[in-house]
Amino acid sequence: MKKRWIIMILSLMVVLVGCVETKSSSNKDNSEDVEVTDKIEIEVLGMSSSEDDLNIVRDQLAKSGFDVKLNLQPDYGSFKAQEDAGNYDLSLSGWTTVTGNPDYAIRSLFISDGDNSKLNDEELDELINQASTETPEEYQETYKQFEEKLVFDNAYTVPLYTNYKTQAIHSEILDEDTVRLSKSRSLAWEPIDFNDTSKRDEDPLIVSQTESSFTSLDPIKGNDGSINMVNTNMYVRLVNLTDDDEVTSEGSLSYNHSIAEGNDTYYFVLRDDVNFAKVEDGEAVDTGELVSAEDVIFSLNRAKDPDSVPDHRTYSLHEHIKDIEVVSDISELESTKSSNEGNPIIEELEQDLNQDISSLATDKEDVDNSKGSYQVLKVTTTEPFPQVLNYLAHQSAGIVSEEQVKSINTYDVESYDVDTDIAYGDQKTVTEGNSYDNQLYASGPYILIEKDDYEANFVKNPGYMAETENEAKIEHVTMSFIKDDDSKLAALRNGEVHIFYGVPQTKFDVVDNDDSLKRQSIPSNAVVYLHFNMDDRDVSESVDLRKSILYTFNQQEFIDYYDGNAEKAISTLSPLVDIDTELTADPAKVEEFYEKYEENK
Amino acid sequence: MDKGKKERINNHSIVLKGTPIFTQANFAFVLSLVLFIILLLSSINYTTGTIKPVMFGLALTNGVFTLFQWFITRKIKKDILADGFVKKSTRRFGYIQIIGLLAGNLFVVVFSFQLVKKEPTAEYIFACYMILTQLVMIALSALNVFKPYVTDLFPISMLAMFVLTGIQIAVLIIIARYVDQDRLSRKMLFLLIPLILITLTGNIFAVLIALGLLVKVNKHYNPKTGKWDEIWGIITRNSTAMLGMFFIVLMFSISVVSLFTFDYAMAIENNYSAILQQPTLEYPLGTDNFGRDVYSRMIFGARISLVVGIASTLVPAIIGGILGALAGYYSEKADNIIMRLLDVLYAVPGLLLAIAIIAAFGANTVNLIIALSVGSIPTYARTMRANVLMVSNYEFVDAARALGTGDREIIFRYIVPNSLSPMIVKATLTIGTAVIATSSLSYLGLGVEPHIPEWGNILKVGSTFLETHSYVAIFPGFAIIALVLSFNFLGDALRDALDPKVD
Repeated sequence: MKKRWIIMILSLMVVLVGCVETKSSSNKDNSEDVEVTDKIEIEVLGMSSSEDDLNIVRDQLAKSGFDVKLNLQPDYGSFKAQEDAGNYDLSLSGWTTVTGNPDYAIRSLFISDGDNSKLNDEELDELINQASTETPEEYQETYKQFEEKLVFDNAYTVPLYTNYKTQAIHSEILDEDTVRLSKSRSLAWEPIDFNDTSKRDEDPLIVSQTESSFTSLDPIKGNDGSINMVNTNMYVRLVNLTDDDEVTSEGSLSYNHSIAEGNDTYYFVLRDDVNFAKVEDGEAVDTGELVSAEDVIFSLNRAKDPDSVPDHRTYSLHEHIKDIEVVSDISELESTKSSNEGNPIIEELEQDLNQDISSLATDKEDVDNSKGSYQVLKVTTTEPFPQVLNYLAHQSAGIVSEEQVKSINTYDVESYDVDTDIAYGDQKTVTEGNSYDNQLYASGPYILIEKDDYEANFVKNPGYMAETENEAKIEHVTMSFIKDDDSKLAALRNGEVHIFYGVPQTKFDVVDNDDSLKRQSIPSNAVVYLHFNMDDRDVSESVDLRKSILYTFNQQEFIDYYDGNAEKAISTLSPLVDIDTELTADPAKVEEFYEKYEENK
Repeated sequence: MDKGKKERINNHSIVLKGTPIFTQANFAFVLSLVLFIILLLSSINYTTGTIKPVMFGLALTNGVFTLFQWFITRKIKKDILADGFVKKSTRRFGYIQIIGLLAGNLFVVVFSFQLVKKEPTAEYIFACYMILTQLVMIALSALNVFKPYVTDLFPISMLAMFVLTGIQIAVLIIIARYVDQDRLSRKMLFLLIPLILITLTGNIFAVLIALGLLVKVNKHYNPKTGKWDEIWGIITRNSTAMLGMFFIVLMFSISVVSLFTFDYAMAIENNYSAILQQPTLEYPLGTDNFGRDVYSRMIFGARISLVVGIASTLVPAIIGGILGALAGYYSEKADNIIMRLLDVLYAVPGLLLAIAIIAAFGANTVNLIIALSVGSIPTYARTMRANVLMVSNYEFVDAARALGTGDREIIFRYIVPNSLSPMIVKATLTIGTAVIATSSLSYLGLGVEPHIPEWGNILKVGSTFLETHSYVAIFPGFAIIALVLSFNFLGDALRDALDPKVD
């Protein structure tokens, strides 16, 4: 009897256990799939801050049969060291086109001997140079060919996805409609306003930033996260970018601008209601000095000259500028035709001006817009280069005071010693303590009063477009330095900061579920991609192997991971130029190219 | 309250405290009550205000067993106060409580196993826990049937586990019938064969039973093993220690069994169509931000946490033990050189040293073990040295020396075995710290590679979603707490049992 029970139980179990579907039987069902073969080891290099992307990269490579070795480095320094040593097959990189123009998106990355380029391909160089001289209508086709060569023909890089740019706003405190989110431009403070406008003079606007150490407050000496927002708001530029990266004179030093026929001469008519501000006894004071054409000429000349200051970090952005001069002869404006419909330049410059241009002032003392006396600037480029306007809108083209900068930068550039010489914009001069000696002259809507390790305090420039719509609304701005995203979010939620610029995707849920917060997201110009080691590796020798790896990657999975807050990309151009191609993962091609690689080995 | 009554109550509590079965009954009741409350609270859906029927049913069933446990506890108290022992009729209630297994109430089950046997031997209790471990293991593995597919070895392994459970029940019955406190007939050694088989699944309780049987068989020939029964007697009567040991053994055996019944791909391969899923039957603990099954990750994570935790305790214990023994036995010169060098090492903060080593040599399991080991060598050396200093003054060491025994033999044959108990206690207590250190390093991104399932890694991912998808962080957090707590409980009991200070 007992025996029978045991046999019954056992057989029941066998039946039950037999019912479950095992891995190999479930794999057999999808027999149409390509058989994945074992492949060589691929070393993937990246920083631990992009751990999530690297995990997806690892996962996709592993699923295609590659043996992945991850090389995670904790910070940029050690990452760069590994990259320079060539310890990788694939390296994860990100690129943000801060100027919003396609030339900047590829020139330094892919042209032979570019700042960040490891490629050496004449065909690519040719296409880059050709496109730079073309107008947006023309360059589309050129850039398409470029992408075709870069990604599909040669597989130099593997595009992954385009990021979203996201900010969260405490909407109970701030009027969310006044907070702009621009594709390329950093956060502009001047339009921001409180819900309760009576607070404008008393309460500060509090923004947050990760980096507490400013590279330099001289606009040409920095182009990184620590000063982009600061210098954008401290120095006015000749033109601005709109939220979707169109060049505009709106809110800039010029009323209007125009491109002359031939695309190598550019005219700007300047405002007379922007004065430099300086700091006296912790207050912002209007110096009474007009931000004039002379200052613009000085600023742009030093921007394009690599030797104008030590540690010049942005001259390559301005290398296309040939000459900047004040226009003295009004007939020049009347006789020159604009590239746009062939109107005389003067007509374009006079659009929406209260007073037509009756005379041109060469000296800033003679400027009086209300009487028709204007300053007009002419910028010429080394070759036809319409995208120069994007560079002029970049924060590194911010206008500084000729007089003030010259009076401070008295050292010899060749023998500059960082310990003894004080350069204009040195953060020591604005940091609280013994070295504090604020020498800043701000042409923008705000000026930095002082900073410490926790926050920086800004005050409105009283001489900046007063009583126009571009006048800064809020009197004081405090920039709070918070390193960690979680802490930033916590500070935002309890109102310690009002704006969290650059919210990571993992925090979207929290922001969306909080009634007092509003999230704004737009597609950005940041592209995440992998580049191959092109120096003495299997991947550098064999284009087949690179292609095999290229078709491994499924961009849709990245987008799924980011919950739809990312977009497909082909190259760093994708967010800027509308090119209708797509990279699709294809297991069959992966195997096909890998076989070719094996054969040719 | 009059004085007589107060005294009586005092007497009562003394009597009751000296009766392990009563404290165990109480312990089981309290834990069962906690389980009931947790289940009850989690059966409510707070967003909709409704009740989840399955969860609620489970909670109620547990409530019934808790109530019954309370009743049994009262009954035991009455029995003991009236007669000084637990009546046979009361013991019978234990059989009812064993059904609590079906409701997942392990606490009452463990208790009832001890209730039904009048004078439970350590082997009997180990056998009960062995079966319990096996059943939980089967249950944990069986959850995989809700997955889209299971591993190829899953059916056969499950079958083997069921057969093994049958064997274990047979072993339990034999032990309950034929093994008592006294010596054992040699014939009983045939039990070793199934026990070795069971050991292969990582069920360490089988090893303990086997050793216990061997000790019993040889009892009259070997005076050294006399303390075995005594030590394990103390430990098995300590409910918290046994609970801790149960969890440790369970983690150990699931690490072994998961090789066959769990699919590693589910733990490391991303599944973008199942990102951040709530716990369901398919994903018992939900999925993380890459769509990986947190449950599978936890199971595979146990392996690394345990291996690194135990290895990074054993390595310094052995190295430190040898150094300490040499320092303690030899003259002042050797002592000074070894101990001063170790003092230098001791001055470096352990976790910082570990971080430095990992940063220099890269993050992988072997480096992790080395990094965590180096820092704790000095503390083991100090413990060992102190003991060796004490033991080497004993007469039997002098006697050995007088007989012309060599130094090496004296150290390793006479002194070391007699200085081991504090080392064992210390090691058990520090495994918990090592587990935490492993997880901390992984949490900081310095441990194993991020996609490898390790509890600290899982916790790190979860911490990002603490507010929106808290389960990703809560379960690994609890697992770490439970494992550390288990080692601490076991270590405490070992200290009580080995009593290193007095001996």
